[in-house]
This record gives sequence, C-alpha cells and structure tokens, in this order.
Amino acid sequence: MLLTPEIITILALDFIFLFFGIIAFFISIKIVKFWNLNSTSNLQYKLEKQSFLVATIIKYIFIVKLPLFLFFIFTADKLSDVITGAMCGAGVVNSVSFGSAMFFYKILNLYIFGFWLVLHHFDLKNENQPYTKYKFWLYIVGFIFLLIEIYLEIDFFTSLDVSKLVSCCGTLFSAASTSSFSFIFTINKLYFVYLFYAVFTLLILSYILKNSWMILGLNIVYVFISIISLIIFFGTYIYQLPTHHCPFCMLQKDYDYIGYVLYITLYIGTFYGVSGAIMSILEKNKEKFYYNVSIVFNIIYALIVSAYPITYYIKNGVWL
Amino acid sequence: MIELRNVTKEFKVGANDKVVALKNINLRVKKGEIVLLKGPSGSGKSTILSLIAALNKPTSGEVIVDGKRVSKLADNFTSLFRRENIGFIFQRYNLIPTLSARENVIVPLIPSNPDSDWLEDRLKELFQNFSLESKMDVIVKNLSGGEQQRVAIARALINNPSIIIADEPTANLDKKLSLEFIEILKKLKNGHNSIIIASHDPLFFDLDFIDRQIDIHNGEII
Amino acid sequence: MKNRLNKFLFDFSVLSIFRRGSKNIFIFFVFTLLIFLLSSILFISNSIKSELDITINSLPDITVQRLQAGRAINMPLSRVNRLLAIDGVKAVIPRVWGYYYFANAGVNFSVVGIDQFEDQYRDLYTKLCDKFNFDRLKIDSGMLIGSGIDKILKNNFYQGYFNFVKPDGSLIKVKIDGIFNGDTKLESSDIIVMPSKKVREIFGMKPDEAVDFVIKIANPSEIPNIASKITQLYPDSRVITKEDLKISYQNLFDYKGGLFLALFVISAFTFFMIIYDKASGVSSDEKREIGILKAVGWTIDDILKEKFYEAFIISFVSFITALCLSIFYVYFLNAPLLKNIFIGYSSLKPEFDLPFCFDFQTFSIIFFLTVPIYIAATIIPSWRVASMDADEVMR
Repeated sequence: MLLTPEIITILALDFIFLFFGIIAFFISIKIVKFWNLNSTSNLQYKLEKQSFLVATIIKYIFIVKLPLFLFFIFTADKLSDVITGAMCGAGVVNSVSFGSAMFFYKILNLYIFGFWLVLHHFDLKNENQPYTKYKFWLYIVGFIFLLIEIYLEIDFFTSLDVSKLVSCCGTLFSAASTSSFSFIFTINKLYFVYLFYAVFTLLILSYILKNSWMILGLNIVYVFISIISLIIFFGTYIYQLPTHHCPFCMLQKDYDYIGYVLYITLYIGTFYGVSGAIMSILEKNKEKFYYNVSIVFNIIYALIVSAYPITYYIKNGVWL
Repeated sequence: MIELRNVTKEFKVGANDKVVALKNINLRVKKGEIVLLKGPSGSGKSTILSLIAALNKPTSGEVIVDGKRVSKLADNFTSLFRRENIGFIFQRYNLIPTLSARENVIVPLIPSNPDSDWLEDRLKELFQNFSLESKMDVIVKNLSGGEQQRVAIARALINNPSIIIADEPTANLDKKLSLEFIEILKKLKNGHNSIIIASHDPLFFDLDFIDRQIDIHNGEII
Repeated sequence: MKNRLNKFLFDFSVLSIFRRGSKNIFIFFVFTLLIFLLSSILFISNSIKSELDITINSLPDITVQRLQAGRAINMPLSRVNRLLAIDGVKAVIPRVWGYYYFANAGVNFSVVGIDQFEDQYRDLYTKLCDKFNFDRLKIDSGMLIGSGIDKILKNNFYQGYFNFVKPDGSLIKVKIDGIFNGDTKLESSDIIVMPSKKVREIFGMKPDEAVDFVIKIANPSEIPNIASKITQLYPDSRVITKEDLKISYQNLFDYKGGLFLALFVISAFTFFMIIYDKASGVSSDEKREIGILKAVGWTIDDILKEKFYEAFIISFVSFITALCLSIFYVYFLNAPLLKNIFIGYSSLKPEFDLPFCFDFQTFSIIFFLTVPIYIAATIIPSWRVASMDADEVMR
C-alpha cells in the first residue's frame, strides 16, 4: 500500500462520507417506512426535521465530491510517476482489475447525488412534498452505490503496488489488448463519428420538439457515444497521433488540461438534460431552465471536439 | 380570513401528564378586522396567536388562513407562510440585542435576498414613521423600552404582512408609551390587514377602532 | 434554481461570528495552528523533493557497485572493458569519490575526482572542466570547491587551501583554485572537485581501483535489459538504475510525509470533536435568537445556510491565514525546527535553503484536509439548532 498525502486525503474524506452517509441512510429508511404528511404524530414531526439533516448531508457529500473527483484524477496522474510502466492515470486506474468499475461508480454517483438535489429542490417547492418518498428511495440506492465506490477505492489504493509493472495507456486502448475497451477498436472508427453527430443532431431536434422522453434517452446515449468517440476518434486529433487513444492523457498539462474542460462541459450538459427531462415528466411541465443549460453545454462540447479534427485538417490538409 | 375549527391544544408536562391549553376553539377573523383577545395570563390567548402564526400545531382541529391549512404545514413551509403573511409583535420585543436597529428590522427579509435600493427606501419610510431615524445604527440593547418596541413594530411591518399579531404588546411599557403604541396601532388599521391583539391591559378595553373583543378563560371562548 | 450569493445573509453571518467572538476566536486559533503545521510540513517536504529531483535527474542511467559480504567495496578497473562490450552501452566511467568528514565543523564533504579527457557523468563536472583550467589544477595540485564549502572553510580560518588528513595520519595540503555555484544549494555546499589521482591519495585507494562505475546507455528503454545483463556478467555487483533511485526517494518522502499526515489526520479528527462540541453548546441567548429567526420567517434551510456561511468563513479565513504564515515560515525563515524532521542527516550535512516550490496539488491537499473537515463537524450541531421549535419565542 502506498501512503502518499493525496491518498490519505482521499481516504480521510471517504471516512467522513461514510460516517455521514450511514446516518443519512438510517434516517432515509425510517422516512421511506413511516412518512405520512397528513399525520400529526410526533414521529412525523421528527422525520420532517430529520429529512433536512439528510438533505444537508447529501448537499455536503455532493459539493465536496465534485472537486474531489478532479482531485482523484489528479492523484491517479501523479501516481503514474511512481508506478512502473504507467504514463498517465489510465495505467494507474487499470493496474487493478476493477479500476474501470470504480470509475464508473464514481461518475454514476455524481449524477445520482446531483439529481437528488434537483429532486429535493422540486420537492420543497410544493407544500405537499410530492417527491419525498422517491428522493429517499433514491438516496438508499445512491448510498449503496456510494458504499461500493468507497469499497473499491480503498481496495484500489491498498492494492497499488510500486513494484508491479502495469500497462500504459497505449496498450490499454488498442485492439490488441484484452481489456474491456478493446472490442470497439475492431470496428471502423468512422461509424462512431457518424453516430456521434447523428445523436447530436437528434438531441438538438429533441430540444426543438421539447419531447422530454426523447431528451432523456438521447442525453444518456450522448454521454456514452461522446466518450467512445472521444477515445476512438477525437482524442487522436487532440494528441495529433493516430495511435494514441487515451481518455486520461488529455487531462495533462501537455494538452492544456483540455480534458477537464471537455468532461466538465459534458457532465453539466447531460446532467441538466437528464434531470430536466425527468423533472419535466414528473412535474408535467417543461423545465426550460434545465433544457437551456443542457443545450448550451452539449453544443459547447460538440464544438470543442469538432474543432480539433477541423483545425488539424486546415493546417495539414489531410486527416489522420 | 383566519379560521380556527374545533381547535384543541394540549401540552405535555413531564412524562405522562398533560395540560389542556385550548378546548374546542372556533374562531373567525375577517380581512381588515381588528380583534382583541382578553383574559388573564395563562388563559390560552398566546396559544391561539402561536397557532395562527403556525409556530405550533394544534393537537386536534384545524387552522385555516386564506384557504391554506396552516396547521398541516411542515416546519419549512410554516416559516415561508410567516415570512409572507405574518407580522409578529412580541411581548418581550424579541429583538436580537447585539444587532443594530436597522439590522434587526431587515432580519425577516434576509432569506429572500431583497433588492438593495428597494430595501433602503422601505427602511427609510419605516424609520421615519416611527421617528427612529437617528437611532438606525444604534445597537438595540442601548435603546429605551419604547424605542425597542417601535423597532419591533418596524420589523413586523417590513414585509407588508396581511396579518399582524401582537402578544401583550404593552406589558413592558408605562402608560405614556402604551398610549403611544395604541396610536400606532390605530394608524395600522387600513382595511387590508387583520390585526389580532392578545392583552389583559384595560387600556385596550374601550377603544372604538377595535372591531371585536373576545374573552378567553381556561382555554375556552366565553 | 437561482442561487446568487445572498449578500445580506453573508453580512449577517459575519456579524454573528463577531457577536460570538470569544468562542470563535478560540476555534480560529486552534484551526489556524493545525493548518499551519500541515502546510509547513508539506511545503518543506515538497521543497526537498524538488531539490532531490534535480539531483536525481543529473544522476547516471546505471550505477554499478561491487559487493562483498553485503558491503560495497572498490571496483577493479579491469572490468571496464567487459562492460563496454555489452550491446547498447555507450560509456563506462569509473568514479573516484568519497565522503570526507571535517571534524572541526562537524560536516561531511563529498570529494569527487575527475579526469579531464574522460566523459563526465554529471553536467556540473563538464561545466567545471570547461570553466576552469584543468591543467593548472593538476600542476598546482589544487581543487575546486562549492561556494557553501568556501564559507565553512573561511569560518575555520582556512584561506586559499585546506589540509586533508590521510588514512595514515599524515597531512596533505590542497590549494583552492576556484569556487563554483552548483545547480542546487545542496550541491554547492557539499562538493569538492579535484583530479582523481589526488582523491586516491587522500582516501588511500589503489591506482587500479575505482569506487564504482557509472554507465551511460544510448536508449533509455534498454536500461532494465542491460541492468540484468550486468548482474549476469558480474554476480557480485549491485546495479542501481536512475528509475530505482527516483522511486525509492519518492517513496521515502511520501512515507515520511504520510507518517506525519497520519498523525495529522488523528489530530484533525480530535479537532473535529472539539468543533462538534463547541458548536453543540448552544447558549440560551442563541436558542432564543434561532426562535426569533424562525418566528419572523426563516426556514430550516435558511438557518442551515447561515450556519454554513459562518463555518465556511471561519475555516476559509483560517486556511488563508495559515497558508500565508507557513509560506513565510518555510520560505523566508527557512523553517527552523521543523526542517529537521525531514533532513535526517542535517547534523552531518551542511546547511542549505529551501527553494520556493508551490503547486496546485499541495494547495488542494491542504484544502481538502481542512476546510471540508471543519464544515463536516458543524453539520449535525447546525441542524440541531436549525430544527429547534420556533415557539421558543413565546415562552
């Protein structure tokens, strides 16, 4: 196990999340079981107050988790100096078999906790608090994911081994590797580019039609297709190397930290899209503000990734 | 309109005992009406006020204000209800003693993050009405009793409440200041807001601008 | 979701902090001290690390030592040719050097021998060869010393020369031909350079021996390969690659820093309890105040927000104050006392200054370990206060 200051920091905060998460979990179970807004019992009165404690805890976890996620990537990047063979965070994260699963849960939790706050906001808009039970159910699920995430993270840090040789991103993200990503490299990369722009066009169309179900589905698809096309196609233009397919290296200084900009815009765009769509369906009312934020950020993302191959073509007259 | 329907309120005393503060109260206060609740201390006047302001929940029965069932609201919404509808004048003023007069008066507006210019105008108007202009930045605990009372009234009025509630407003004032308070009260009657006063001060008993007087004894309306 | 900053709430929070001054000042001081300690330690360890990084980067690709009974002994020069024969080896340079303990000042010098026409294994020596007239050095039997050493010698009344004590007890006088400044402070206050012959004489080494070999390799990716070939060729040798050194240094520092941090985390949690306790102790005045706020229309959320503002202001001001203090302490005062934790050999090595080195990474570690912990400690007490019954005011 490595005991770097970064890892200790992350573990200390994990411990705090766990402590408060457990408190919120037990209150949530009580609320799901006994919540009855029409009752004037002492229990209901107590639960009403405790629901605010849960909300505060979730706000806290979410707000600290957002920058902590970036810090985690930073740390993984730094560890790549220490771990033999790793050139960037990708190698470090994939030095354990569950590295990508951990990453998946980390991102999923950012969506769930963020959406919880949106639901909470709408819940408190109405005196009947229509979403109270939903939101506490959601937290119960979210807490289980949080547990998995923290478990994987602790396991990840304890099994990091300086003397072990890991693969660098160059071998991880290629058709030759046996990693879970490899199969997508066997498909013609242009298909993904077409697919990306097709989904993007449909997404814009869905905003024009203001069809909430369409917006919801397309935003989810957009997240996945964006990341896949970034790895397969757009990334190679960021690196200006046809063989470099790493979603991590672009977070480094050599590429002006463009990765952070891309991932943050993608997160904001899709987060507002998904939560706006769900709330529109629940509230039976178009959540224009959410949609507007979503459109703007999704377009910014598409523009930035498109700019790389286009400027490359203009400068060099050929495609990679 | 304010309506209390079959309201009963019990307070727990110790582990098993309870005290009945209000018994089956039915009461209606119309818009624009000024009502005086009379009765000795401990008769339940203040409890009625706190139920109307949703500071407390009835053990049974309902409190309805402008069609809203206030007695059913969750804690968070009772606060919003008070912020939008109620101006409260307390017996002990209940100012924050270490803040200045001005800071005390804006307290109810802080959560709604008001527009600064609008707030300045509103403050000026209120402080002028209560001849407190020179005391705006004085820490409240250094003000006299009468001045503190007027700061408390200014605070109750800052959000233009439709219901003004005054709990024993003259209990801590001498006769001269009490009469001053009654003058202010008279000015507040404008036909739009309901005013409910709980007091056993005889000064209130023969005021012509009070529309109704209600006697309360041992938690019941007589 | 409009969430523009509420200036009035902010003002109210600031006033609240000052109105309960004595309680908050105590917390502020303890917290500032804690952050100060944390950031000072991290700054010091970062500085030393960056200084070492420069040193390590100037190290050769591979160093080969000869072991006997687990201890390093001198290398016969006869091995050079067989090592050169390995594919990919660009150069093999025998090194003649050693530590000389100067008892009067209680410090160790690194005495390094160089030969003019050989490849130099360190940039510094190439520079020195170019700058100073090497032939004169040889004839004069003189030496070049770092500026830091010059100071030490002058303090001990050596002007222009130094007397080395040979293993047999006899003295050998060496003239100072030049003074240089190294890339790092550590370098200039540590290194003495002179012809190899002289070094052999001072340490009593045989002419056909060197202390160790450094090996230059054309293609860095071949390093592990060549290292294993050397071990096969001479099983009694210890092969150290640059990469090995880098990792072990990094680990050593992370370990030392980590050990301290583990202690810090314990004290941070103790502090967590203190804040929790302080924030839980609500006076009757405060209770009444909360009652008033709720009676005039503040929701639980509003009060929680106000408490959050308070906690954030206190912790953030502490954070910034402590950061400024420790930058001053470490980089201007050169971290008296604390520096010794990291420089284990400080009593043996000459003094040096800590170079300024501040990165975003360190900044975020300090931030994450302090501000969120403080705020976390106030969550439950704030909620308790915020959810108190509003009818407090009617009593």
